[in-house]
Amino acid sequence: MLDQFLLGLSVVMQPHVLMYAFFGVFLGQLIGVLPGVGAITAISLLLPVTFYLDATTSMILLAGIYYGSQFGGSIASILLNLPGTPSSVVTCLEGYPLAQSNRAGLALFVAAFSSFIGGMVGVTILVLAAIPMTVIALKFGAPEYAMLVILGLLAASMIGTGSQIRSFAMVVLGIGLGLVGADATTGYYRFVAMPELADGISLVSLAMGLFGVSEVIRNASNRPAANTPTLSIRMRDVIPTRVQAKSLAFPIVRGSGIGSFFGALPGTGAAIASFMAYAMEKRFSRSPEKFGKGHLPGLAAPESANNAASQTGFIPTLSLGVPGDAVMALIIGALILNGIIPGPRLMVDQPELFWGVIASFFVGNIILLMINIPLIKLWVLLLRIPYQKLYPMIVIMICVGVYSHRTSVTDVLLTLAFGILGYLMKNYRFEPAPVLLGFVLGPLLEDNFRRTMLLYGGDFTIFLTRPISAVLVAGSVFLIAFAIWSSISTSRITKRSIV
Amino acid sequence: MFRKLLTALPLAAALAMPAAAQDFPDRALRIVHGFGAGGNADTVSRIMAEEMSKTFGQPVVVESRPGAGGTVASGYVSKEDPDGYTMQLMVGGHAVAAALYSSLPYESVDGFTFISTLGQFPFMVAARSGEYESIGALIEAAKASPGSIKIGHSGVGSTQHLTGELLALRTGAEFLHIPYKGGAAASTALMGGEVDVVIDTGTVIRPQAEAGVYDILAITSGERWPDAPDLPTVSETVAEGFDVVSWTGIGMPAGVPDDIAATIRGAVHDALAAPAVNDMIASLGAKPSPSSGEDMTALIEGQIAVWTDVISTAGIEKR
Repeated sequence: MLDQFLLGLSVVMQPHVLMYAFFGVFLGQLIGVLPGVGAITAISLLLPVTFYLDATTSMILLAGIYYGSQFGGSIASILLNLPGTPSSVVTCLEGYPLAQSNRAGLALFVAAFSSFIGGMVGVTILVLAAIPMTVIALKFGAPEYAMLVILGLLAASMIGTGSQIRSFAMVVLGIGLGLVGADATTGYYRFVAMPELADGISLVSLAMGLFGVSEVIRNASNRPAANTPTLSIRMRDVIPTRVQAKSLAFPIVRGSGIGSFFGALPGTGAAIASFMAYAMEKRFSRSPEKFGKGHLPGLAAPESANNAASQTGFIPTLSLGVPGDAVMALIIGALILNGIIPGPRLMVDQPELFWGVIASFFVGNIILLMINIPLIKLWVLLLRIPYQKLYPMIVIMICVGVYSHRTSVTDVLLTLAFGILGYLMKNYRFEPAPVLLGFVLGPLLEDNFRRTMLLYGGDFTIFLTRPISAVLVAGSVFLIAFAIWSSISTSRITKRSIV
Repeated sequence: MFRKLLTALPLAAALAMPAAAQDFPDRALRIVHGFGAGGNADTVSRIMAEEMSKTFGQPVVVESRPGAGGTVASGYVSKEDPDGYTMQLMVGGHAVAAALYSSLPYESVDGFTFISTLGQFPFMVAARSGEYESIGALIEAAKASPGSIKIGHSGVGSTQHLTGELLALRTGAEFLHIPYKGGAAASTALMGGEVDVVIDTGTVIRPQAEAGVYDILAITSGERWPDAPDLPTVSETVAEGFDVVSWTGIGMPAGVPDDIAATIRGAVHDALAAPAVNDMIASLGAKPSPSSGEDMTALIEGQIAVWTDVISTAGIEKR
């Protein structure tokens, strides 16, 4: 394993390859910062460039854009409450309050560092455990996915900061929005008011609207225009204290673990990983009341999770030749255009490509950390731009970003509509995060549950007779029991023993 | 004098006509398609656009209007001015949509001037390695216990799904058709043992077959495929006359003047002969297939008839 990895390193360390790795992650980082412009857009625009590069360099470049954008996605979330990528929605929850209380630099540092560790853990798992992870991923059939989502929904039911019933209502709203489009089991059109909605509402529209646009409206209506905080950006305020750093160790480890696991399952990905990591942190925290107000562990866990997931997301792609999501499909497309057919034999037939790409992840994560830390000061300066100049620019960027995602004007209009909805929700103290959770997980649960029923002739016992599924059911039962028990016994130190 | 002028007018008009075609195109053209950026339709559009802009000396712009399986784009193009400046990159889904949707905002055949197909590709019937000796064995097993063999497909109403239903109709075997989101997900389910068979394109199936994970039991084209001459066809083994290929092609709004359509067709055929385009189409598992407008029309009409029949017989919900 080690000498193969060294072979990979020797590929990456060639100056021109290193240059493309740097270019990829740097570009990805910038794209991640732009609200709504995702890795898909960037990669599809750069796809023609790969005609002129060899397969290994193309892969290193495109993959760099992908995980670089995960890295950069947190920046706009923290500073402006604008999730640059769907997987950095959760980053807004703690990151933005931190920025508002004049700790933007600290938040950016913690995000960058957690992302780095998450990414490194992800790559390590990719190197050491790609094969066993593949075996587990293949054992995940429809029943397992269905039960996993139920477990996730239960764990995440605490994600909002307000009342449970409001949070629940918002999950239901999210599930409702997720129903729009063609029913995956029968093809029947649900709530398709116009043909543009046949493919469903875009997650990017929903996230940009509920978080970004609503924030712009809120600030435009509430704040005096001259209110720009005078910011201290001394390095001393950016680096966490010893106590803070200690409190982050376990959240980062847990986040990396959750992210690595979800990333390796085809079709779940970084967005779900970050939600799950946040929910877990909050569920098992000794001080859940601090969440939503700028609590560092709640920032570190999802940040490490989404970056770990974006690395282990390459496991099904590289080891099975099966793309886990749309970005991976594009990356595989680039390989095909280079005349390489990705598949189970890639590791054996193209060791330099396979290990070169993996080694580039290591190098790329280090490059990302190195460019990020010095840039923190620069990013924080963004907040000095007066709101009346900053917000119009943001709205334009959101519109461009959302449009570029599916080249759909309808998506842009929907984003603005969701912005108004988000504004109203905030005024009436409804949280936007549970809406997104329902939106992402609802359709996943429905698809897999109905597929299970179809596959096993409507037999419910299948959920208990398949071992992995049974374990997940047990986990859900445990969570419910735990919730009941902890609401009965007035919460003492007991929660600690559960972790 | 006046009479002379009158007789000269039609002549002048006749002379002017080819002149207009010779001037064509005098501004940018565009290729519209109905799928996301970066997908196969987008990639093929872009490489065609690049090649055709060389031929015409005018820019050719690619415009993506995604939605509802490409029908948003078709509806848009069919209503555009048939001046020859708007092309559409179409896929096999155009014929499927005609059968699948109860109402479409355009006429699937009469609303268009079909120019030429670009590439045609078959589907492959695959099972995990060693499960079934042949397609005959699969059909027999399906007949022995109806509804027990599961075919994973890439989505309700996809050509892959309908091909599976057609296989059932033509052989009398009964399968359980399981929908997934895309060919990759269906392929993963086949690897993991959740389904027994997947019918999909060569790009999904062949890498796994070459690695020994899958056996390709049969190919869906009417004749053996030049790229894979050893694979038996469904037609020669279990269902005579079975012929499913999907395609990409270029269409324009109905009413494009014949000479302009011919000019475009010439440019499309030239582009297909260019190595860059040819390689790209081959790498997507398709056979470059320049055709006449009549051939493309006949192909689409034939497929609409087959899919209409499959959808009503199999009881697939219309949209």
